Amino acid sequence: MSLPKPDSALLILGHGSTENPDSSQPSWDHAETIEKSEQFGSVHCAFWKEEPSFRQIWPMIEEKEVYVVPNFISEGYFTRQVLPRELGLDGHTTEVGSHTVHYCDPVGIHSRMTDLLIKRAREIIDEGVRLEETCLIIVGHGTNLNKKSTDAITAQVEAIRASGAPFAEVLDAYMEEAPFIADWQTLTDAPTVVVVPFFIADALHSYQDIPVLLGIESEPTEAASQREVFRQNPYHFGDRVLYYSSAIGTDPSLSEVILDQVEYFDEHYRS
Amino acid sequence: MTLAETLIHLLPRGDSRRFGEVFLEHLEDGTLRARHRHDRMELEGLEELSSPQELREMAKWDTKGEYRPLKTAPNLISGWVTSCQDSSEFLKRLDAIYPGVFATWAAYEKGTHDPTPLRDTLDRQTGMYRFAGSITDQMANEIMRETCAKGCLRTIAWPISSECPTSRLKRPPQDIPVICTEACTFAVSEARRLVKEAYDKANPPSES
Repeated sequence: MSLPKPDSALLILGHGSTENPDSSQPSWDHAETIEKSEQFGSVHCAFWKEEPSFRQIWPMIEEKEVYVVPNFISEGYFTRQVLPRELGLDGHTTEVGSHTVHYCDPVGIHSRMTDLLIKRAREIIDEGVRLEETCLIIVGHGTNLNKKSTDAITAQVEAIRASGAPFAEVLDAYMEEAPFIADWQTLTDAPTVVVVPFFIADALHSYQDIPVLLGIESEPTEAASQREVFRQNPYHFGDRVLYYSSAIGTDPSLSEVILDQVEYFDEHYRS
Repeated sequence: MTLAETLIHLLPRGDSRRFGEVFLEHLEDGTLRARHRHDRMELEGLEELSSPQELREMAKWDTKGEYRPLKTAPNLISGWVTSCQDSSEFLKRLDAIYPGVFATWAAYEKGTHDPTPLRDTLDRQTGMYRFAGSITDQMANEIMRETCAKGCLRTIAWPISSECPTSRLKRPPQDIPVICTEACTFAVSEARRLVKEAYDKANPPSES
């Protein structure tokens, strides 16, 4: 255990949004949880599309040593290019001005995410639903522009299959590349289907776009925080029953995964 | 000097300061208090917000209930007050309203945080923003005039390019300045839009 670190700061990085008010909320929620646990001298958030921006953050942090954890779902364009560039990082540990900055792996690739996805699926289905008759679909964005964009999800699907969790099937599906989530009714014959979005927030994609693709909304709704009632599971499609989870990144346990990535850094990257 | 100590240095006991649309006071009994400057004459009836979380939620919406992504937009809602004795906690509350704005000023004044020229910011962009760097100086001025000056309270501290001479901003005695040391995502998006608009105009789709 390398925690607590009262002389270090923790910086959580999120994407944020100029259009959706719910995009940054999970990062703030996890920061608040960690701050209350007093594991760090201070806890901060910074965002690509909101404030404080990545470029504004260094003057706000007074501790010399800073652990940076991207609250991103996969490794790729953002975690390998945008975040290091904007923060001035060039490796696992970088001296930036008066700070010594440790750049941890993004939360989404931590092995603990597998248990979290299984836990989330079990939580939202009703008592009495048999997992042996249930297909679990992990849904992500996907894009034909980047062949690696699905790696994080296919890895999780394989890990869930290998975990012994007794689902009838475990599948991956995407918004913008095959297998398409819009085709969920033909991807599986299971009578019960539970869909867990592998996203950080209940924002544009997981709250507004995917429900339309699933057929539980006819058009994109307002943002989650601007609706009076959160969605109610389950949804019936003929003889079949669909459960749709909120984004995995909203799970309170994500704050523990953030801390896990700090400990992983100390164990594997710290010289 | 810590940031909280710097704040107390700039807002001594018995004094008040303007901070964007916020009116700050340091009372004789040590209480630190903030409210919208429109409410500075009247405390009665203001809603007491007592945590950074409550203030962040307040600052998230405008008077019409629309999402307010730019926290230094000149449309902070009024009708609230927040007060506490601890300067570190007070700074967290101010950061919930104007994230990082006080720290930016403190570092700028200390000389440890230099403004980034607009062209450096734009030339650094990749992905969908990679063409933003090809704006003309005329477009840059349009961004400063139409996007920054009209939609944001911050005073620009950055030059368009590193060759442009700039003078250091000074703090008016009654203010804690709200400054911009680097163009934000809105300015970068606007630069992209102007470049794309000019390209599309110069290269209209052929009629075949």
